[in-house]
Amino acid sequence: MFGAKKKSLEVERMVKANDREFNEKFQYADNRIHTSKYNILTFLPINLFEQFQRVANAYFLFLLILQLIPEISSLTWFTTIVPLILVITMTAVKDATDDYFRHKSDNQVNNRQSEVLLDGRLQNEKWMNVKVGDIVKLENNQFVAADLLLLSSSEPHGLCYIETAELDGETNLKVRHALTVTSELGADISRLARFDGIVVCEAPNNKLDRFSGVLTWKGSKHALTNQKLILRGCALRNTSWCFGMVVFAGPDTKLMQNSGKTKFKRTSIDRLMNTLVLWIFGFLVCLGIILAIGNSFWENEVGGQFRAFLFLNEGEKNSIFSGFLTFWSYIIILNTVVPISLYVSVEVIRLGHSYFINWDRKMYYSGKGTPAEARTTTLNEELGQIEYVFSDKTGTLTQNIMTFKKCSINGKIYGEKHDEVSEKKEMAKGEKPVDFSVRSQAKRTCQFCDHSLMESIQLGDPKVHEFFRLLALCHTVMSEETSAGQLIYQVQSPDEGALVTAAKNCGFVFKSRTPETITIEELGTLVTYQLLAFLDFNNVRKRMSVIVRNPAGQIKLYSKGADTVLFERLHSSNENLPSVTFDHLSEFSGEGLRTLAIAYRDLDDKYFKEWHKMLEDANTAAEERDERICELYEEIERDLMLLGATAVEDKLQEGVIETVTNLLLANIKVWILTGDKQETAINIGYACHLLTDDMNDVLVIAGNTAAEVREELRTAKELLFGRSQHILDSQVLCEKQQPLELKSVAAEDSVMGDYALVINGHSLAYALESDMKNGLLELACMCRAVVCCRVTPLQKAQVVELVKKYRNAVTLAIGDGANDVSMIKSAHIGVGISGQEGLQAVLASDYSFAQFRYLQRLLFVHGRWSYFRMCKFLCYFFYKNFAFTLVHFWFGFFCGFSAQTVYDQWFITLFNIVYTSLPVLAMGIFDQIALDTSYWTVINHVFIWGSVATYFSILFTMHSNSIFGIFPNHFPFVGNARQCLSQKYIWLVILLATVVSVMPVVAFRFLKMELYPTLSDQIRHWQKAQRKTRPPRSRRPQTRRLSSRRSGYAFAHQEGYGELITSGKNMRAKAPPPTSGLENMTDSSPSRMENVWKKTTDAASGFGQDIPVKL
Amino acid sequence: MEKPFEYDKSRQPANSAFKQQKLPGHYLRLTATAVLSIFFTTGLFCLCVGIILILSAKSTKKIEVNYTKLCADCHELRDDASKFRKACTCSIPFNLPEKMKGNVYMYYKLYGFYQNLYRYVLSRSNAQLMSKNIMDVHGCDPFKMSEDKIPFIPCGAIANSMFNDTIILSYNLHSSEHIQVPMLKYGLTWWTDKYVKFQNPVSSNLADQFEGSAKPPSWSVPIYELDRDDPGNNGFLNEDFIVWMRTAAFPTFKKLYRRLSREHYFKEGLPAGNYSFNISYITRFQGEKSVVLSTLTWSGGDSLFLGLVYTVTGALTWLSAFAIMAVYLMLKNRKENLSL
Repeated sequence: MFGAKKKSLEVERMVKANDREFNEKFQYADNRIHTSKYNILTFLPINLFEQFQRVANAYFLFLLILQLIPEISSLTWFTTIVPLILVITMTAVKDATDDYFRHKSDNQVNNRQSEVLLDGRLQNEKWMNVKVGDIVKLENNQFVAADLLLLSSSEPHGLCYIETAELDGETNLKVRHALTVTSELGADISRLARFDGIVVCEAPNNKLDRFSGVLTWKGSKHALTNQKLILRGCALRNTSWCFGMVVFAGPDTKLMQNSGKTKFKRTSIDRLMNTLVLWIFGFLVCLGIILAIGNSFWENEVGGQFRAFLFLNEGEKNSIFSGFLTFWSYIIILNTVVPISLYVSVEVIRLGHSYFINWDRKMYYSGKGTPAEARTTTLNEELGQIEYVFSDKTGTLTQNIMTFKKCSINGKIYGEKHDEVSEKKEMAKGEKPVDFSVRSQAKRTCQFCDHSLMESIQLGDPKVHEFFRLLALCHTVMSEETSAGQLIYQVQSPDEGALVTAAKNCGFVFKSRTPETITIEELGTLVTYQLLAFLDFNNVRKRMSVIVRNPAGQIKLYSKGADTVLFERLHSSNENLPSVTFDHLSEFSGEGLRTLAIAYRDLDDKYFKEWHKMLEDANTAAEERDERICELYEEIERDLMLLGATAVEDKLQEGVIETVTNLLLANIKVWILTGDKQETAINIGYACHLLTDDMNDVLVIAGNTAAEVREELRTAKELLFGRSQHILDSQVLCEKQQPLELKSVAAEDSVMGDYALVINGHSLAYALESDMKNGLLELACMCRAVVCCRVTPLQKAQVVELVKKYRNAVTLAIGDGANDVSMIKSAHIGVGISGQEGLQAVLASDYSFAQFRYLQRLLFVHGRWSYFRMCKFLCYFFYKNFAFTLVHFWFGFFCGFSAQTVYDQWFITLFNIVYTSLPVLAMGIFDQIALDTSYWTVINHVFIWGSVATYFSILFTMHSNSIFGIFPNHFPFVGNARQCLSQKYIWLVILLATVVSVMPVVAFRFLKMELYPTLSDQIRHWQKAQRKTRPPRSRRPQTRRLSSRRSGYAFAHQEGYGELITSGKNMRAKAPPPTSGLENMTDSSPSRMENVWKKTTDAASGFGQDIPVKL
Repeated sequence: MEKPFEYDKSRQPANSAFKQQKLPGHYLRLTATAVLSIFFTTGLFCLCVGIILILSAKSTKKIEVNYTKLCADCHELRDDASKFRKACTCSIPFNLPEKMKGNVYMYYKLYGFYQNLYRYVLSRSNAQLMSKNIMDVHGCDPFKMSEDKIPFIPCGAIANSMFNDTIILSYNLHSSEHIQVPMLKYGLTWWTDKYVKFQNPVSSNLADQFEGSAKPPSWSVPIYELDRDDPGNNGFLNEDFIVWMRTAAFPTFKKLYRRLSREHYFKEGLPAGNYSFNISYITRFQGEKSVVLSTLTWSGGDSLFLGLVYTVTGALTWLSAFAIMAVYLMLKNRKENLSL
């Protein structure tokens, strides 16, 4: 914000720890953030300057100046200044309030406390006073104040865990690793205070996953990577404390660098209005010219002699010059066709609509007590025009709660109600979920209504036991026992947490682990397994295994992983179990569940020892270490015996499916942009029915180089066109010459069948480059659904910008985390999911509400209504002003084109702002629309009759004797009203005018209704037709899918935890840190466990029968 | 274990019909019966009003005598600046074929006199005219003061250009005997004009009060000598002056000049017969002047316009009502045929 110049100059940053004087030389930004625009002193000049930059205001200022020239002035100055001041004041007040809230939120952030090492001791400092080079102490669950270089932490080896949800939306824990030299500093304040390392690193940038620098301390240099950096916006987890040195502060932090610039958002109505105003202005100039020419002629023909008679003193005057003056005079008089109150009225209407959004009970989420909020009041009608919705996944579509839903053990499905009889039986029992609470340590978390599983466990089915034993052993979860005896699991991926918790609930409780052992409680008995090897997960392997020796001395390999990978490695003796399980897997994934296959292998001692020796050799090998290890893993992970499969539900938020279906039905394209990995993203795509099985194909773009991506795009396009080529060969050819926009529109229609596009973040980086982005956009727009995974916050914004720019479409971005901020800001409309921990998304958004499903209410009810009302309002408004003003044009021909007005000046002044403003506003704000019928409510009555009453009272006041007595020259109309209104003629004219204006409208409406079906009929008809041709996909939760893409592998994104575990680096030697409720996977309130499949009737009920139609 | 957090329920929006946009509303249901009955009733009403208006306008009697050409001699005379002040009277005989019953009004009518020019309309001082400050000539450009810096009373272009022809109506009782038709020169103005907007200074002698002012350049007499016969009809309260000062909206306009005083021969109105206007022609201008004698009815003057528009509207409404009915029946038949 400030010092942009300086920033562009900064190529390298040099920071010395604990040395403010040294660092001050470089004038690095401090940690204060500014999002506000004004302060008390600058408000008036800056705000006025900004306001007069708006064409309309400048125009009225210009008019005002014209009116002050006596030769031109045809209206007195107050006709313009009164409305102008009113408008400027209203806008200023609004701007001031907005800025006040920005100040408030800035202050709140800037005044957060953190502990800073100053003068050799820890002191509480406000965030804004933290400077580059300071050493800051963070405690568990605290938010990070600035970008810190991690020095030391409470955990062994200088590890610390952070959650980056605010930054990139990923909620799994990430590990940061301090340099060994600095981690030795520990919590020793005096040593930390003496720390005087110098960091030389790159200049501030927005790359979240990259950092390079060098720490020079005690004469030696240490390389710094992203692994050493804790970024602002992260929260410290599972680490009781850590120390870090501030490298980037305030606006230089990666979070702020990523947040993008706030852009002034305009709606298409705004643009339309500006164009209209320009046209009307042109029209006005034309009228002025006609009248000016008329005046010149009149002066020549008639006025010459007449003037001599009327204005003796003035002598000869040039008729051309007179015409020129008349032109300006008429510009002043006719300016009411472009009334200043138009802009105010539009603002007022939007404000009213915003309040209706805030007041809507159907968008109030009682679960969190959050009502919807229209944070920007100027965009409402744009909501009815949305063509593209860009949605974040985690926290927006999903609740980010993983639940163990089903499993298939040895060919039998558990966790499913099989038939009505058993269902009724359970009903009789009170529909209680299987309660494992008889067992110690067990808790009710999984919604698992299958008593047959209980029975199997109790009967001691060995396969079932083995299944849960595997779940309890094969994972990377860390456990912790609180003083109250409760087990707390710290998980790197919520999927794993769900599996381990499920095992725990079934009586196989994972208790604790050391680098060499894993202790579990099997149905009440503690058993300690010796951990022999840990075959970690990575993206290629898509599986993880552990090799353990049980107390009986048997060595077993337990493996879980993507079904496609595991099924290849099964032993041939599995017989038909794989095919049964495969069917089950298909079924699970058809329901949108994330599945894993589970298998084991018995190893004999000798074989394992040989293998283990080779592994050790490989580990110490200097060359090709990874390849060799990989080969060894492959070697041992074969001949597996299948146990079954698990199905974990990534819980969708309530009503997501209906909402997505309705959005698609309304021809709105839904794109998912997520930081999650591909499998997860695709799975969610299926779960929310964005991707469906009746799609012809899901195109995946995941190339790692520009050439690969280009090739993939090309093949994908060929595939799309290939199918429809025989029909559209020529069309495609000729389209090639057309500009992109037309081409893709035409192409979109020409593509047969439904396609979905899945694109990976790293491919997207290439695809967004200038030469390929047209191709990407074209392809993406031809697909019915688009899923972008592994995207950075900035890429999200780039995708939105791309669509916005080249498709010329109205876009909406919805998200909940700080990683969505840039996308929210760049879309036409940004929606933030409120009620979450972080507020960044909400603060950057234009609208916020608590649940994704409210989107349909926002778009289909509020958006639609706003748009309708705004359009009607504009028609009404322009109509009334034209009718009002064109009278002067007509009168010009009778008054010698002398710019004489028909109405008195006060009537002109008040017409728009008092007499006629309320009825139009009432229609604009309160019109209740049921399809095409406008209702007259109490408000309309009050406003219309109120306006009539106001008119008459003001009229009689201004025409009264007393006001004439006081200001005889300003109110010379004494007696006019009395005289005129006592004439019968007047009333007859009023009556006739009413009849003449109303009758044609009534006739027209009636005939339209009879001859052509009304809009509502058309809509109903249209929808019926749509339903026939495209059966809704949403109502088929039981869809079976026969594809390999179902496997959502349930592990953290990174590899390397296995190593941490086996090396024991992250094993805790000290007392456990204070419990943080977040990682506590065992906790869950009943409300969070609500069944997502439950149909919500709420969201759809508000908009009559058939709203999801975009007009 | 975390307890379900109690959220603030007070943030829940109120469930009022207004806030939830569920206010009861009513709207016109355009059924065929409703539309047709509305149309027929309205049409009938308009036709009736139109016919009544036309009949009453027809019942008024009106005679207009354009004297621009007839007083051509005087008109020419005024062209010669040297004889500008010379009095000129012309007499215009005319025949009234039917008698004019009831109140008869005499108007002067000007063609092409732009009393509605922007700067002309502004050129007056209301403060002066109501005697708030008789020397206030603010806004009277270009007739504020004489060359000797003496303010005009009354000031401004409107007052300066006041209609000052004198029109006298004579009735030819016999071929030789002409009697002057008695006319009233009061009761010509709006009440508010005479009692609020125009006020003389409180004084017995107007001439003293207007001491130190000049008469407008085109005037031959000062304002306190406008009516030598009736001292009360002088100063700002002169009714001819008040009538003139209420500027006309269109370049062709008529202003009330005299009312018939219903006495002697004229108790019933103006009897048929031969009359003549005796006009002292004072000022000429590019347009034309005429005298109008007219009676009034309840609806106003003799204009047929409103009556005609009402009649036409009524007729059109009926026509469209029939058209609508035809369309409606046609569609209904078709629908029935389809359903059969």
